[in-house]
Amino acid sequence: MKESTTNTTRQVCSVRVGDTWFGVPIAHVLEILGKPPTQPVPLAPHFVGGLVHYRGEVLTAVSLRRVLGMDAAPHPEDVLVFESADGPFGLFVDAVGEVLQVSGAEHEPNPATLDSRRQTLFGGAWKQKDRLLVTLEPERLAPMRLAGALAS
Amino acid sequence: MNGGSPGCFLKFPFPATDNESVDDLTREFLLESQEGLDRMERCLTDLEVRPGDAELLGEIFRSVHTIKGTTGFLGFGRLEALSHAGESLLGQLRDGKLMVTPEIISGLLALMDRLRGILRSIEATGAEGESQRDDDAMIAVMAALQTGNPAMVEAEPPIAEAEIAAVVAAPARRAAAKRPRAPKPRAPRAARRVAPLPEDGPVSAEEAGPRGIEDARDERVRGDAPPTVAAAESTPARPRDETSEPPAHGATADSTLRVDVDLLNRMMNLVGELVLTRNQILQATSADAGFALLGRRLDMVTADLRESVMRARMQPVSHVFSRFPRLVRDLALGLHKQVRLELEGQETELDKSLLEAIRDPLTHAIRNAIDHGIESPGERQAAGKPAEGVVRLRAYHEGSHVIVEVHDDGAGMNLGRIREKAIERQLVAAARAEQMSEREVLQLIFLPGFSTASSVTNVSGRGVGMDVVRTNVEKIGGKVEVDSQAGAGTILRLRIPLTLAIIPALIVRSRGQNFAVPQGTLTELVHLNAGEGDSRIEWLENAALYRLRGRLLPLIFLDRLLHQPQREAATACDIAILNADGRRFGLVVDGLAEPEEIVVKPLATVLREIGYYAGATILGNGEMALILNPGAIAQSAGVGLNAEMEEAPASESQVGLADFLVVETDGRRAALPLETVVRIERIPRSRIERAGSRPVLRFDGALLPLDDAASCLAGDDPEAQTTVVVCRDGARQIGITVSQVLDVAAGRQLAEAGTETVADGVTLLHERVTDIARPGDVPPIETSAAFEEATEVLR
Repeated sequence: MKESTTNTTRQVCSVRVGDTWFGVPIAHVLEILGKPPTQPVPLAPHFVGGLVHYRGEVLTAVSLRRVLGMDAAPHPEDVLVFESADGPFGLFVDAVGEVLQVSGAEHEPNPATLDSRRQTLFGGAWKQKDRLLVTLEPERLAPMRLAGALAS
Repeated sequence: MNGGSPGCFLKFPFPATDNESVDDLTREFLLESQEGLDRMERCLTDLEVRPGDAELLGEIFRSVHTIKGTTGFLGFGRLEALSHAGESLLGQLRDGKLMVTPEIISGLLALMDRLRGILRSIEATGAEGESQRDDDAMIAVMAALQTGNPAMVEAEPPIAEAEIAAVVAAPARRAAAKRPRAPKPRAPRAARRVAPLPEDGPVSAEEAGPRGIEDARDERVRGDAPPTVAAAESTPARPRDETSEPPAHGATADSTLRVDVDLLNRMMNLVGELVLTRNQILQATSADAGFALLGRRLDMVTADLRESVMRARMQPVSHVFSRFPRLVRDLALGLHKQVRLELEGQETELDKSLLEAIRDPLTHAIRNAIDHGIESPGERQAAGKPAEGVVRLRAYHEGSHVIVEVHDDGAGMNLGRIREKAIERQLVAAARAEQMSEREVLQLIFLPGFSTASSVTNVSGRGVGMDVVRTNVEKIGGKVEVDSQAGAGTILRLRIPLTLAIIPALIVRSRGQNFAVPQGTLTELVHLNAGEGDSRIEWLENAALYRLRGRLLPLIFLDRLLHQPQREAATACDIAILNADGRRFGLVVDGLAEPEEIVVKPLATVLREIGYYAGATILGNGEMALILNPGAIAQSAGVGLNAEMEEAPASESQVGLADFLVVETDGRRAALPLETVVRIERIPRSRIERAGSRPVLRFDGALLPLDDAASCLAGDDPEAQTTVVVCRDGARQIGITVSQVLDVAAGRQLAEAGTETVADGVTLLHERVTDIARPGDVPPIETSAAFEEATEVLR
């Protein structure tokens, strides 16, 4: 990873799903929607959490819980909006935390013991004082990419 | 058409390119030149009809002149040389030194194609491309035309040839079978036939190149050339008083400007946002009187704004129509037919994207009309028709649709042949084909596989890829209808929604979710009360059926289809009866909401692939809804194409046919002309008041007189519902109470025996005589014995 070789710091947005905290480079985040109304899509691929309304467009949002094989969230979720080759898409997370500074030196690659699905989704983790912040790269979560990955 | 790059501009049939190799100045030039050439093409075909029109000539001249002026400045040598040659020829025409002939028009059109080709090349690569020899030949043709000299110059421009090949492809194949060579209707033909003077000279068409022209000219000078030609002799003619020529500025140039379509789309989105925000504000502030006033104002402004942005996307159909005079001319020449094209309703406006979408289907339809519809002059005269055939292209509004008709006065379709062909291609069983009505037989031409390229040559009727026309039109939510009368001609009618972005839809609910069903596919609604489902939905193994006026209709349960948790059988539900491309079925849903005009939003690819959804939308209340695709649902559920097609409402412009709303009043059936029906209301009797002895209804803030000839208002129960059909009678509106609305059907006019007079007040509905109730007759609705006979054969 780039981060482990350089000592540059970058800003990441911390998000929580279940008990795990994730970090998303802030440069990739177009917008954060706070608990927007959502519309489920019957027959949609499993990873699709539903539709959300974003600036006059109808956005397909991926559910990080579903991607990770977790149960549905008990409360309404927040949505991060990312850009992908197929247009913008959303990502449902339990909650959005604060923006953190992380440095490349803190970054470690995925441990070999991680299951194979998570190996493809996670980009390593940042070691913080009291916790690990799993690196999420939005392009790995784009609906088209997930559809391809899960089909194969 | 021409490589639709995303940044296309309105008012510009050639999408502008984002190509780095083209700078802003050049792009501006390309836009302007393209417009100039479009104008020129229109004028040229007009000029052929009105050869003496100095104004037209002036306009063509200015177009070419402008192109020439700018090209020199930008350093496009080929364009400059070619436009210079054209300008010289046009100068001669304008000054009256030459007369307009079809050959000159052909030559100029060919030149125009050449210029277009170069523009395309500049657009794509930034350079003109190399084709010096061809250019020289073209310039020579121009020169030859100026001297009025015959010359055969092989100067068929590659672009023109390709275009013509595409356009004449199908017809040419047949033509080619009879003649040794495919027709080349333009430059070569023109050159071959430029022979206005007797002393055609020794120049044989075949050997003449630029050199030959030279010779011919010499001879002309030596001979007794008329003074006009002699005056024109000095070549290349200098463009006359170049400076005095005003640059081509249309009168509208200052009051319009080009807007990027992307920007308009974005504005449309923002307006959508605004509408939603407005709705929320209205809800949040409804309690406060001061805010309510402001809210209403915001409401009005928003509605106006939305309307304006939508209008900005509209373009008159003339943008598409304008290319057809040329097409018709070329086809007619190539097929040796005489065809006149009449354009009507050119100012009718359509959303830009829809306009683009009907371009190809229309081209196809016109090609068919000329190739298969219009007969040769000889055949026409033998049939007692004028030698010149007429193709009429007509656009007009009808409700929320724009209708574009292609009407030819040709031979009409041969139903027998269509039937045979369909049987031969195993599209329909022979026994079934025998029972088919004329209308059904005509519909066969839209079946995929009815005609392929090879059958074009042996089917004497029509049907070159009509399924493609239909598919294209249906893709944009439109419909195609065809009417044909043997010997009298054929009408192909494209029914296009006004905009692609906004469609009327019925909102249905299933398991707490909203879904939108496009109104275009909806034929009627049936409500089943709680507990009624068991008795009225019948089962054949595991196929659900509903008996609609005696016919079995397959049912699809939306919740089951979408694997939603299923409802209990006993609850109330609604059946939306849909007709998707001839597939009729009932969609069972939990409930209905108000119909709405919805803005179609695209779905991500992963959701599009599910197949049942055509898009998504945001409703007025801020909720989202998935838009269902009834055609795909029917197909996946295995609902077949069936004989229901004959029930497609006939169009009113078909001779003697009109649509009627069939109602039941007091146990009898009556027909109301559909065009007079404003809406159908179901209201409790308590809302009906009386003015004197007359029952009235307050409706939209006005008083609506009610006609209750059928005594539907009798009875005491104030909560009982009654159905009122609101009709238009000139400027006034009246309500007619009916017990039940049954159907919409087409009725045929009846003439009294032995007279030509159309019988008033009755119509033929499904082969039964039915009385027509006209709002003007109110009161009362006359009923007659004929009513009793007009019965349940309706549908």
